[in-house]
Amino acid sequence: MKKQLVAVLAISLLATGSAFANKKATDTTPEEDLKVYRDYFMKKFPGVPLNEFQNGVYAIDKVSRDSWEAIEEFPPYEPMIEEGEEMWNKPFANGKTYSSCFPDGPAQRKNYPRWDAKRKMVVTLPMMVNECREKNGEKPLKWAKGPITRILSYMAYESRGQKTHVVIPKGDADALAAYNDGKSFYFARRGQLNFSCASCHVESAGQHIRTDILSPALGQTTGWPVYRSKWGELGTLHRRFKGCNKQVRAKPFKPQHRQYRNLEYFLTHMSNGIEYNGPSARK
Amino acid sequence: MKRMLLFMSMVAVLGVAGCASTSGDSMHKAAAAATAAEAYQQLLAEARAARKKAASVDGEWRDIGKILKKAEAAASKGDYAKATKLAEYAKFQGEMGYKQAISQRGVGNPDYLN
Repeated sequence: MKKQLVAVLAISLLATGSAFANKKATDTTPEEDLKVYRDYFMKKFPGVPLNEFQNGVYAIDKVSRDSWEAIEEFPPYEPMIEEGEEMWNKPFANGKTYSSCFPDGPAQRKNYPRWDAKRKMVVTLPMMVNECREKNGEKPLKWAKGPITRILSYMAYESRGQKTHVVIPKGDADALAAYNDGKSFYFARRGQLNFSCASCHVESAGQHIRTDILSPALGQTTGWPVYRSKWGELGTLHRRFKGCNKQVRAKPFKPQHRQYRNLEYFLTHMSNGIEYNGPSARK
Repeated sequence: MKRMLLFMSMVAVLGVAGCASTSGDSMHKAAAAATAAEAYQQLLAEARAARKKAASVDGEWRDIGKILKKAEAAASKGDYAKATKLAEYAKFQGEMGYKQAISQRGVGNPDYLN
């Protein structure tokens, strides 16, 4: 089996240069990309309205959608939203609350991820939550699961209906570089199986992988945190990134690593115009 | 008497030859084991270096660490044949991970999108 895998890999690596040609990440602008991706998915899944892509695979497969709608009647994540609300309102040891860091309230999804020109890096909502905690003398929460998903659930729930609006600031070469870095990560083949994120979620979106159907990349960032039946709990977007990397047998990065933040920046930009609908449930 | 002496000499010669042969086998085996261990250590170092090189370009594969651990476990039991094979495999993974990451550096939209 190992020998077969090695043979397949060697062949596919050799093929990478020819049969699967890519442009360079810098060859296209974010605006051009947005149009290309949208056109591609609209053509691949005709009749699916843009905003429907927020529902992932349930936008393109009726059978999966029926069972998902049944799950959504009694959402498994509902108690976690309430726990998140309690966290939001409970004062830290210094008497302040999360609202001291987010004066506009918990509906913050539309503001993240974003480019922080001062720090010259992409900042994400989970990062801001933990920075808020540290600023107020609290320990940061673990990134992938557990309490962080509660507070993020509440914030996502309060943000439902906001439209994705990721901006790559014009004339900021560093922001563009971060976007292109995320784009490269998305289209680069990696791991022993030599798959890119796009191999599954762009090129093969809608096709079966064993009993599952591969979800389209468009809209993939709107519903986080997600309650996955496989996990039996809520998890963050970067937890899913890790899982995907492991599945193609690449060594994953840590949640909130620069690579994953840039990837989130690129992938969320792809969904500009689609409404946030987290938290959500997935298989 | 002469016959007796001749017989004893033959027994002695055969005995010495026998001892020499037994001792030679063990020495040969010991030398072979030392060579196998050295070869494994060399390969292990190469595999570790290949892993580090792959990691330097964010191209490390998922299982290389596990494969190296298995190699070390086999070596600790003296199974250098297995350990060497595993170290070779880990080295291959490191080299391929590096090549893959370099070949994919900076890629953008695939042609099928257009």
